Amino acid sequence: MLNKITGHEVDRRLLLKGAAAGGLGIAGATMLAGCAPGAAGPLTFGARTVDESPTQQLQALVAAYTAKTGNEVAYNATESNAFQNNLSQYLQGTPDDCFQWMAGYRMQFFADQGLLEDISDVWDDIGDQYPESYKIASTGLDGKQYFVPQGWYPWGLHFRKSMMAEIGMKPEDIYNWDDFMSALAELKGQGLIGLASADKGGWEAMGTFDILNARINGYQFHVDLLGGREKWTDDRVKEVFRHWEMMLPYQNTNVLDLEWDGAMQLLLQKQAGFFMNGSWFGGNFLEQSQEDYDDLMIVPFPEINPDHGRDTVDAPVDGFCVAKNGGNPEGGKDFIKFAGDMEGVQAMLDTGVPLTSANKGQDKSSYDAFQNAQQAVMDEAKYITQFLDRDTRPDFAGPIVGPAFQSWFKDPSSTDSILESLQSQWDALAPL
Amino acid sequence: MSSAAPIEKKPVKAKKLKRRRTFSRADRLTLGVFIGIPTFLHVALVWFPAFVTIYLSFTYWTGIHIGDIQWAGLANYENIFFNTPIFWDALRVNVVWLVWFGVIATPLGILLAYQIDREIRGHTFYQSAYYLPVVLSLAVIGVIWNFLLRPDGLVNGLLGLEISEAVSFFGDDRYNIWVILTMASWRHIGYIMLLYLAGLKAVDASLREASSIDGATEWQTFKKVVFPAMKPVNIIVIVITIIESLRAFDLIYIIYGSSGGLPILGVLVFQNIAGEGASMKGAAYAVILFLLSIVPIVSYLRQQFKEDVS
Repeated sequence: MLNKITGHEVDRRLLLKGAAAGGLGIAGATMLAGCAPGAAGPLTFGARTVDESPTQQLQALVAAYTAKTGNEVAYNATESNAFQNNLSQYLQGTPDDCFQWMAGYRMQFFADQGLLEDISDVWDDIGDQYPESYKIASTGLDGKQYFVPQGWYPWGLHFRKSMMAEIGMKPEDIYNWDDFMSALAELKGQGLIGLASADKGGWEAMGTFDILNARINGYQFHVDLLGGREKWTDDRVKEVFRHWEMMLPYQNTNVLDLEWDGAMQLLLQKQAGFFMNGSWFGGNFLEQSQEDYDDLMIVPFPEINPDHGRDTVDAPVDGFCVAKNGGNPEGGKDFIKFAGDMEGVQAMLDTGVPLTSANKGQDKSSYDAFQNAQQAVMDEAKYITQFLDRDTRPDFAGPIVGPAFQSWFKDPSSTDSILESLQSQWDALAPL
Repeated sequence: MSSAAPIEKKPVKAKKLKRRRTFSRADRLTLGVFIGIPTFLHVALVWFPAFVTIYLSFTYWTGIHIGDIQWAGLANYENIFFNTPIFWDALRVNVVWLVWFGVIATPLGILLAYQIDREIRGHTFYQSAYYLPVVLSLAVIGVIWNFLLRPDGLVNGLLGLEISEAVSFFGDDRYNIWVILTMASWRHIGYIMLLYLAGLKAVDASLREASSIDGATEWQTFKKVVFPAMKPVNIIVIVITIIESLRAFDLIYIIYGSSGGLPILGVLVFQNIAGEGASMKGAAYAVILFLLSIVPIVSYLRQQFKEDVS
C-alpha cells in the first residue's frame, strides 16, 4: 500500500515535470497521464469471451500491462452472446473501463450515442503501427477514433489437408462455382457432407449470404443492400438464394439444430469436407491438438460472377473500446494504448494462441501455414466487409434477418415471400 | 319520552363506530409501514414500468437517451401485425402451448393429484417423483434437457448417431414444439399436482362419505362433489395455466438463445427490447403479451365473482 502511494507521487511529479518541460497545456497533460507509467491507477477490463484460448491471450495482455505499469487490472469475463445482449445497459450503467468489442457499424452506433470515449490521441501515438484501413474501421461517424484493433480473421472455406489428400481433392484448385459444385458432389459420392453448416444461433448463415451476394452481385451492391439503398426484392438477391439452394443438398440436414461449434465438430471429426466460417476457430482446433491445428487450411470462396472474381471477403476486426461511463477512462485509454501497441500485441502472441494482429509490427514471417493462408485470402480481396450483423442496422440484423434466414432453411421454396417480408420489415424500421 | 330513546341511542352507536376506526399513533405507524412500503414498491416497480412500457410502445427509441424518444403513433403495432411474419408464428406457438397445457398437462396434474390423494400404493414415492422437477427453475430444466437432446447429447449418443445424423429434436419444425412442450409439462404437471393435492386435502372427508353413502360412483363424486368444492383452487390452477403458457421464456431462451429457432412472444419481447437491436417494437410486443394474458384472466375472474354474488 505504502509503495503504491509513493509510486503514485513520483509519477505525479514526473508528470508535472514533463508538462512543464514540454510547455504543454492541459490537453497535453492528460495525454501524458496516459503515457506516464502507473499514473492511470487500477482499472477494470471486460472480456467478451469465456473460451479457453482467447482468455489465455487476454490474460497475458493484462499481466504484461500490470507488469509494465504496476496498475492492477480487474478482469471480468462474460459469455459473448450475453455480453452483446447487455451492451447498451452495460455501457449506461457502470461499465468496465476498457472492454472488448467490434469495429464498424456496431462500434459507430455506440460512439454516436455518446457511450464510448474518444481515443483519437491514442491513435496519434500508435497510429503509425496500423495500415490506414484499420484506422478507418476504428473511426466513428464524427471522424474521431473510438476503437483499437486486436485481430482480424477472414471468412472462407476451411478444410482438413489430410482428409483432402486421402480423397485426392485439391481445394486450392477450386476456383469457380462449377469447380465447387463438382467438388461437393464428389464429397457426397464418398458419403461425406460437402459443406458443414449451422444456423441455430441465427447469425452463422449470414456469412454464407454475404459471400454469395458479394460474389454474384459485387461489393457495391452488397453494401448498398445492407445500407437500404437497394431492395431485398431485387432479382439479384433472388439469384443469391438460387445459388444457396444449389448448395443445400450437400449440407448437413440439421442446420437449424447446430450452432457454429456443432458445424465445426463435423469438420473436426472428418465428417464434412468444407466448413464456411471465420478462421477464429483455429484456436479451438489447437485446443484439440497441435496436429488438428496443423491440418487446418482455408481457401477463398469460389468465383461465381467473373465480373467480380474473388474480390470481396468478410473479415471482421475485433478489438477494444473505452467506456465513457467507466470509473477510470484515463486508465482505460492507457490500457487500450498498450493493447494496440506492439508491446501488448507481442504479449498476446507469446502465448502461442494463434492471432493475426492488425499491427504492422507482427512479424509475418513467423506466421504458420494456416495464418499465411488467411493472409492470402485477404490479399486476394480488393474489398473488405465486416459481417452482415456488423454492416447493417442492429435492429434489422438480429431480430429480422436472422429469423428470416432460419425460415428459409425450413422452406427454401418460399424465397420470394421471405424477401418481400424482409423488404417490408426494412421499410417499417424506426427512422434513424 | 318515546323519542328520547332513539336520540340517546344514536350517539352511542356513532361513538362505537368511531372508536373502532380510531387507530393509535403506533397502529397508524405500523399500518403505514406495512401497507405504505409494499404499496410504494409495487407502484414503483410494477405499475410505473408497466405504464412507461405502454407509453414507449407508441414511440421510436433506441433505449439510450431519453431525449431521443420520438412519437410513433401506432407504427410499432402496424409493423408487428402487418409486416412481421414471425409474430404470427410466435402467437401460434403460444396458442399451441396454452392448448397443450389446458387440455393435457393441467388435467394430467389434476389426475395425479387425485390418485395420490386416494393414497394408491407407493403414493409418497410418486408424489416426490412428480414434484421433483418443480424445485428446478425452467432455466435449469432447459439446461438438463438440452444436455440430453442436443445433437451431441446423451440420447443421440446412446442411439449411436453422429452429429450429422443426429435426431434433430430442437431443429426440426415437425416435432420441436412437442419436444419443448414435453419438457415444459415435466415441470408444469408436478406444479399443478401439488396445488391440487393441497386443495384436495382441504376437502371435508364427510362430503365424500356422504356421496358414497348416496351411491355415487367415484367419477360422480369427483365431478359433482369434490370438483365444485375445490372452486378456489380451480381458479388458481386456470390462471396459472394461462400465465405459464403465455409468459414462457426461460426454457426457449436457454435452448435457442434469442434467435428465432422456435419463435415465442416472450423471446420476441426480449430480442426487440434488449441488446443492440433495441427498438420500441419490443415494448409493443410486451403490451400485446400483457393484453393477451390479462383479458382472459380478468374476464374469467369477473364471471366467477359474479356467480358468487348471485
